[in-house]
Amino acid sequence: MGDIDKGTLKDRTFDAIVIGSGMSGGWAAKEFTEKGFKTLVLERGRDVKHIKDYPTANKFPYEFEHRGELPLTIKNANPIINRCYAFNEEAAHFFVKDAEHPYVQDKPFDWIRGYQVGGKSLMWAKATQRWSDFDYEGPARDGFAVDWPIRYKDMAPWYSHVEKFAGIAGNRDGLAQLPDGEFLPAFPLNAVEDYFKQQLLQKYEHRHVISERVAHLTKPNPIHLQQGRSQCLTRDLCVRGCPLGGYFSSNASTIPWAEKTGRMTLRPYSVVHSIIYDEQKGKATGVRVIDANSKASFEYYAPVIFVNAGALNSNLLLLNSTSSRFPNGLGNDNGLMGKFVAFHNYSARITATYDGFKDLTTIGRNPAGGGYMPRFRNLYKQETNFLRGYAAGFSAYRSSSRDSSGVGADLKDRLLHPETGPWKVGSHMMGETIPKESNMVSLDKTQQDAWGIPLLKISVDYDDNDAKMRQDYFEQFTEMLTETGFVNIETHISDQNPGNDIHEMGGVRMGKDPKTSLLNKWHQLHACRNVYVTDGACMTSTSTQNPSLTFMAFTARAVDHAVGALKRGEI
Amino acid sequence: MNRRTAITNLTAITIGITFFPACSDNHSQASIALTNIRISAVQEKLLADIAATIIPLTDTPGAKELGAHLFVLKMVDDCYEKDIQQAFVKGLDEVEITAKRRLGGSFPERSLAEKKMLLEEIEKGTGYSADLVAFYKIMKQRTIQGFMTSKYVVRDIEHYELIPSVTYNGYYPLAKK
Repeated sequence: MGDIDKGTLKDRTFDAIVIGSGMSGGWAAKEFTEKGFKTLVLERGRDVKHIKDYPTANKFPYEFEHRGELPLTIKNANPIINRCYAFNEEAAHFFVKDAEHPYVQDKPFDWIRGYQVGGKSLMWAKATQRWSDFDYEGPARDGFAVDWPIRYKDMAPWYSHVEKFAGIAGNRDGLAQLPDGEFLPAFPLNAVEDYFKQQLLQKYEHRHVISERVAHLTKPNPIHLQQGRSQCLTRDLCVRGCPLGGYFSSNASTIPWAEKTGRMTLRPYSVVHSIIYDEQKGKATGVRVIDANSKASFEYYAPVIFVNAGALNSNLLLLNSTSSRFPNGLGNDNGLMGKFVAFHNYSARITATYDGFKDLTTIGRNPAGGGYMPRFRNLYKQETNFLRGYAAGFSAYRSSSRDSSGVGADLKDRLLHPETGPWKVGSHMMGETIPKESNMVSLDKTQQDAWGIPLLKISVDYDDNDAKMRQDYFEQFTEMLTETGFVNIETHISDQNPGNDIHEMGGVRMGKDPKTSLLNKWHQLHACRNVYVTDGACMTSTSTQNPSLTFMAFTARAVDHAVGALKRGEI
Repeated sequence: MNRRTAITNLTAITIGITFFPACSDNHSQASIALTNIRISAVQEKLLADIAATIIPLTDTPGAKELGAHLFVLKMVDDCYEKDIQQAFVKGLDEVEITAKRRLGGSFPERSLAEKKMLLEEIEKGTGYSADLVAFYKIMKQRTIQGFMTSKYVVRDIEHYELIPSVTYNGYYPLAKK
């Protein structure tokens, strides 16, 4: 990238700068370049080209030296990332190793990161549900955080906009708490998932099992084929990167789309140190970048800057963007930046057995993984001793067992001819956590990384509300499973640290009042309006839905606003 | 399975073996590169023999033919703590010592029935050293894993393909499977 670095001021000036190339940054790149903007996309990690840079995508199980397991030296050197479910021989190359990018844990927090073009959009679980007004009105109704400055009606067209392009498989389920979208055909539920769904409809109010909505091209439209993507053939090996582009990632979709316009300059290995604030102009004018390898620093300029570095890194970048006007971080007049961080509580699972449907099984693979239960607790009114509630996964499979006792030809025969067992089901909780001032990130005062940037200090923990919610999840699911004829019901507490949900959010929250929030309803910093934050950092509350779809919709809507605001001379 | 396929595969495997003749030289090393444990060719042969006892050659290849014992070595070398690696190697040697004591001769030279009986006794665990029991547990678990994830079982028995040949069906009649 020497050309733009050594170039004139003009060469280093763009119409827009996007910091980050992951889930939301890819969308900013696509939207800006489509609207005619010469856009610089800065990515701190290496480039990962669609297909070409998926080294494990076409390997058979026996082609993995350790059959998926990682050698002990790697596990021991990476106690944090090793706790992530997807850190294995198939995908380890997409995850940040512990020693590469240290941070300070004031309380235990597993910060799971993917520093590369595409970010975590390569390895995500692809669950994509819209928020509803039960979510956007949550803080106002239940008296926590601050009121969201937007409502579902503001977002609905933008959800449609991103869904049509990304490709979301789902059913129109007609649920107020989980609005329908622009869907491709859904993956079906199986016999036992369907049974549980029907039973709950008969026995409960507002408790629904739907097919998990996922960003898979079950039946691609022309817009998807134009991206160079093709139908999902249910390989179910997504975490390796999909050579078919069967699921949505920045690498398969938004980044190549932006590239095709000829207006994107993608610069990997670009660590953004800070955003440059011009006191005279009263706005941001560009960014200071450190080359990750040479450590040389450069400045790039643009009239609008999008911050999409990933929730906690966006906090870090803004806190580190100091000036005499903003000594505590860009736009941080109220001192709340970095505070009110929240996440999703994934600390509980439940398993059970169903003795019916003995004549049925499944064949093939279901990349959606089965069923999804949107939040039903405290939905229409407060009904428990904790705030908010949880969504849950619900999936069933026909078990098989291999008696591996003894040795010899008899054992071999048993291994090769497993006995079909009963149907088994598993559910996991996805709980909303309440943002609190004490759950926060800040800049470490003494330690810096290899690029001279302060380390991020993370102080985030579970609370009493989370514990009560988990208890309720166990009670409600035990009751529902018992009522519907399941047996061998077992509850499992996972002592996973916050962060391992990989749904960290907040710190630069949106709100109506500059005294209590950092961003306005268009994602602009209240105090520096040409800087927009549209990744997880902007979240006022977390709700229970997997957040990526909302980040995408936020980003597309904010770019549309920024383009208008520039034309109108507002920023 | 298709018997003809099995014979074809066996032929291929037999040819494979001729490239790596068993070596009785006590000083020569294992046939795969190892970093943390030291295994001689003799020990490797013993390991192969144990694998062949756990999952024998029948009308289809067994664990030894599919190289499961080498997979075990690879896993022990890369994926276990040092104390467990040491226990594994000691336990392996104890198999030979125990065979001489209980069966009156070297393990590889005893009949399949005798080898099977000895391993099944060790599996019960009583009366054997902690190292031997630890060795056996790892050996058995990893032999089964190596066998079940071998190319032969994955492709020819389980018919696994990267792209499944069927679309997902959650109501498939078990009788048809």
